[in-house]
Amino acid sequence: MVATTLESSGRLQKKNIIRFAPILIIGIILFILPSFIPHYLVGLFTLTFIFAIFAMSLDIVLGYTGLLSIMHASFFGIAAYTAAVLMVKMGINSFWVGFPCGILIAGILAAIAGVVLLRVHGIYFLIASLCLGYMVYSITWGWDYLEMYQSKGIMGIDFPGIGIPGFTFTEVSYCRFSFLLFLLCFYLLYRFVNSPFGYSLRGIREDEERMQVLGYNTWFYKFAVFIIGALFAGVAGVLFAYCNTTVEPEHLGFSYSTYAILMVILGGSGTLFGPPIGAALLVFLEFYTGIVSPERWPLILGLILILTIMFSRGGIGLHLQRLWKKVLPS
Amino acid sequence: MLELIDVHTYYGESYVLQGISLAVKKGAINVLLGRNGMGKTTTIHTIIGFSPPRRGKIIFKRTDITGLKSYEIAQMGVGLVPQGRRIFRSLSVERNLTMAARNTSTPNAWSLDRIYSLFPILKHRAGQKGNLLSGGEQQMLTISRALMTNPDLLLMDEPSEGLAPALVVEIERIIKQLKESNLSILLVEQNIPMALGIGDYVYIINNGLIVYDSTPDSLKGNEEVKAMYLGASA
Amino acid sequence: MTFEQIFINLLNGISFGVILFLLASGLTMVYGIMGIVNLAHGALYMVGAYVGWSVAIQHGFSYWMATLTGGIVAGFVGLVMERATLRYLYRQINEQVLVTIGFIYVLTNLTQWIWGPRPRAPFTAGMLSGTIQFWGCSYPIHRLTVILIGIVISIAIWWFQEKTRIGAMIQAGMDDKEMTMGLGINLNRISVILFFICSFVAGFAGVIGAQLLGATLGQGFHILGLALVVVIIGGTGSVGGALIGGLILGIFDSFINALVPQIGMWAMYLIAVIVLLVRPQGIMGGRMK
Repeated sequence: MVATTLESSGRLQKKNIIRFAPILIIGIILFILPSFIPHYLVGLFTLTFIFAIFAMSLDIVLGYTGLLSIMHASFFGIAAYTAAVLMVKMGINSFWVGFPCGILIAGILAAIAGVVLLRVHGIYFLIASLCLGYMVYSITWGWDYLEMYQSKGIMGIDFPGIGIPGFTFTEVSYCRFSFLLFLLCFYLLYRFVNSPFGYSLRGIREDEERMQVLGYNTWFYKFAVFIIGALFAGVAGVLFAYCNTTVEPEHLGFSYSTYAILMVILGGSGTLFGPPIGAALLVFLEFYTGIVSPERWPLILGLILILTIMFSRGGIGLHLQRLWKKVLPS
Repeated sequence: MLELIDVHTYYGESYVLQGISLAVKKGAINVLLGRNGMGKTTTIHTIIGFSPPRRGKIIFKRTDITGLKSYEIAQMGVGLVPQGRRIFRSLSVERNLTMAARNTSTPNAWSLDRIYSLFPILKHRAGQKGNLLSGGEQQMLTISRALMTNPDLLLMDEPSEGLAPALVVEIERIIKQLKESNLSILLVEQNIPMALGIGDYVYIINNGLIVYDSTPDSLKGNEEVKAMYLGASA
Repeated sequence: MTFEQIFINLLNGISFGVILFLLASGLTMVYGIMGIVNLAHGALYMVGAYVGWSVAIQHGFSYWMATLTGGIVAGFVGLVMERATLRYLYRQINEQVLVTIGFIYVLTNLTQWIWGPRPRAPFTAGMLSGTIQFWGCSYPIHRLTVILIGIVISIAIWWFQEKTRIGAMIQAGMDDKEMTMGLGINLNRISVILFFICSFVAGFAGVIGAQLLGATLGQGFHILGLALVVVIIGGTGSVGGALIGGLILGIFDSFINALVPQIGMWAMYLIAVIVLLVRPQGIMGGRMK
């Protein structure tokens, strides 16, 4: 029995290596690439990795658990604000302070919000999440401490110090750093969604009442995944603050929440590799739209959202998944 | 009046009706008997269009109504007295009735006055919300509501369910009275003595199939069939 | 606070509450009968406000003409949304929500395209400008008109729901959609009419509200948030709840802004949080899910 398990797991590993070889190659290319591409592309790649983390963090809530939260940018933004305040207002520029603090604050906010939101179900949940998101946005907007030079937001954020003597971040190295963190988050979330806990979340998505009958405390599961999602959104938020140089109320408002939702839907919700693809598409599309006609970007964004829902429900991820299975049947 | 020909209906993934054929003649009361979960209510839902059949044909007044929307089927003259009564709880008794009114210009049509003379108690309750009525009153209301649509065929799904014996007798009397006004009725029942008392013809459904049909009198004598499909209580 | 200030703030609150009620009643009715959560409802309000501005100020027609046009344009925009997308998304709440979020972006950006980014100052009818004196207070007439309109519309909705047959069908549809259809009532057609009416009311409210708030591009988002708070307070599927919720929120907003203006921007969301914690089904105990 043990022997066969070992043998089959050995075979499985071999198969996995073949299956994941393309990913490995893409990964190595992405890691080397920043050194050889134009300046603006490095910035776009960095943003892509950051938004990929942000989108994946929403996906475990929206895609895997089925909770449509329209306040996810609150966690992203509050972490970004935390990092910004620490660096600009308090002069603490160490990554090892800003990073955990940002994530922690995002987690605390999620715990408070979760207690309120999970009192209700279904449609009420999303209405309530929208209202809470507005509230976080309005508080930030109205708070004098979070203003500089008579305008909303915190400016002049720089790359953080990482504590290695003689090393300072450049745009290229920060891009690589973001990529590594993205890989780490992907791995952690991959383990998470494929754990028993992750399967329980899918069970809640499919039929919450049945899970309750089976003895699951579904409230706790939803509460936990809501916080975990916020923690990873916090990772993205802190990374974003350091490379964007400014943090504004918009970054924790409705539009960024919608961005995240759109990335998840566009890429394919309930798959872990879909949201990063959605993130890449949206970041690049926004950039190139910005060159042609920046005023029309919201129009395009809205149309993409409508068309994706109407005509490509599973997102691009679904098509890729099918292709993947066709090319490499397991 | 109504004919089902080899009707197959799925409820989600489960295969509920596996080829039902039955007919109701004009002015007749046909009874559909069977134990719980055998497909009685699904048969009703299939006819009215709540759960359209996947295969088979439903003919009503010589028209094929298979696959029509439920409101189209109801407009053609099918009245529904659903299981569980399904009174509109936020409407008053009177508005439960008036909102359903249709074909009021036909001769001998059902009107509020006629309903109230049939069920005087509803007149007393006219202003009350539907959910404040007792079980028996709710049953009268749901029958009246169906009558207000002036149907040619009435689908009745367990009208005696949960009623005290005296009220069952009352419902029985009303059904007989409706029959005299030349209404065709498909009656689904668990109360077998009552069903056999008023029915003109009996079908027994078991696991989504009609397994037996006869006149009520021949079923009364057939202890074997009763024991097999209807349980010992019959 | 003097008595006069209390009185004026109360009236201000009621007039703002009326606008919120007009919006929230549409949201809650569309949800009640169609199960659709139309997050673009605030955007329809905004469209109405801009159209009204064009009709009344740019082209110099009467203010009443503007309210009508604003309502009709918003009504047809809503109708297009429903026919083109929402009717295919029956019972898919997440998808409806996302599509209507998409429409917020589309409508806001199209409005910006047509009217430009500049906000429009409040405007009103000539006969309504000026103030009225009573009990030693002077109060703008147009605000009183808003209150009056609110009373008229509340009575109209009440009459429609309680006295007309279509109103009974709509209420029946909210109770039990399947059974209503089984009585031969084509709820789909009624739903489309209702969607038009509710969109009309949103646009109408936009022009009425423009007397107090003008027209801005951000309204599509902001007024929606407040209308949703009203729905949370009042409970879904309950027009009475929307009225009470709207008035509570309007009056609360008015006093908070007079007393503690620094929390005025977000205090109303705090009410939503408190209601969710204490009484999640809303004050009127609407039907959830």
